[in-house]
Amino acid sequence: MPSTHDPQLLKGVLSLLLLQLLAEQESYGYEVVQRLHQIGLLDVLEGTVYPALARLEREGRVSARLVSSKAGPARKYYRPTPAGYAALSSGTASWLSLADVVGSVLNRPTPAEPIEGA
Amino acid sequence: MTHSISWIDRARIERAVWALDQRLYDLPRKSRIAKRREVRENLITATTDIGARGALRNLGNSRQLAAEYLSAEFGDEARPSWMAAALFLLTGQLILTSILTEAALAFGDGITAANPSATGTFTWRGIRYLQDTVTYTFVNGESTYVGGAWTPFAWVIWIVATIFVGRLWRVYSIWRRRHM
Repeated sequence: MPSTHDPQLLKGVLSLLLLQLLAEQESYGYEVVQRLHQIGLLDVLEGTVYPALARLEREGRVSARLVSSKAGPARKYYRPTPAGYAALSSGTASWLSLADVVGSVLNRPTPAEPIEGA
Repeated sequence: MTHSISWIDRARIERAVWALDQRLYDLPRKSRIAKRREVRENLITATTDIGARGALRNLGNSRQLAAEYLSAEFGDEARPSWMAAALFLLTGQLILTSILTEAALAFGDGITAANPSATGTFTWRGIRYLQDTVTYTFVNGESTYVGGAWTPFAWVIWIVATIFVGRLWRVYSIWRRRHM
């Protein structure tokens, strides 16, 4: 099924998704992209994820280590730092709260015509 | 399916990495090298997975990717480009100084051609307002010359142009945002 997620919406929660995936399993850049694809986010491409990982690293939310690879050059594996876990926790709470509010509004039945103003 | 990496794939990967690297010169050297290595490694892995064409397509435009990396490193605020400023100043100086030196030498050669045993002092004004006067001293056809340097006005133009090319006024904006 082709993915149709709004890139702007995705961009807003990409760092949260990355932190969650890295909290579940330490990964390198391309592996993170594959894992995003596996959960259905097919429109998140490498060109978006690699800079997002670099940003998280600069912000001190993930740390990286090089692991030698049989396939070629050493791979850079990322994992969340304590600051990353804190950001994940607060970001998740914030996102879920927003999703609740937005969901409760968007799930209301849509009338055929808007109620006329006074 | 695992794809083997041909030398053509390897060349395409290196080209993409090089194109990205050329746009990352404003990053600290260590960070730039780290990005280059990481992108190369990821491209190689992606190529074995989906082929070079798909790997490069998914990486996207090198200009956009570089902009994202720069934004990740420095934040979203508008930045100066020290590399553009330095390149402009150095190459501009090199090219114009070479041309003006050739012009000064041509002036001397003209005097020698007109009178192979010339003796005396000859001046060439150079580019008015931008260059000091070039003064040739001839003794029996042998010459030395002094002058031709940039005037203070020319240096002001150089500095203004360098600031403009490197957008260096943004340094002040950044400093103000951080300190005021």
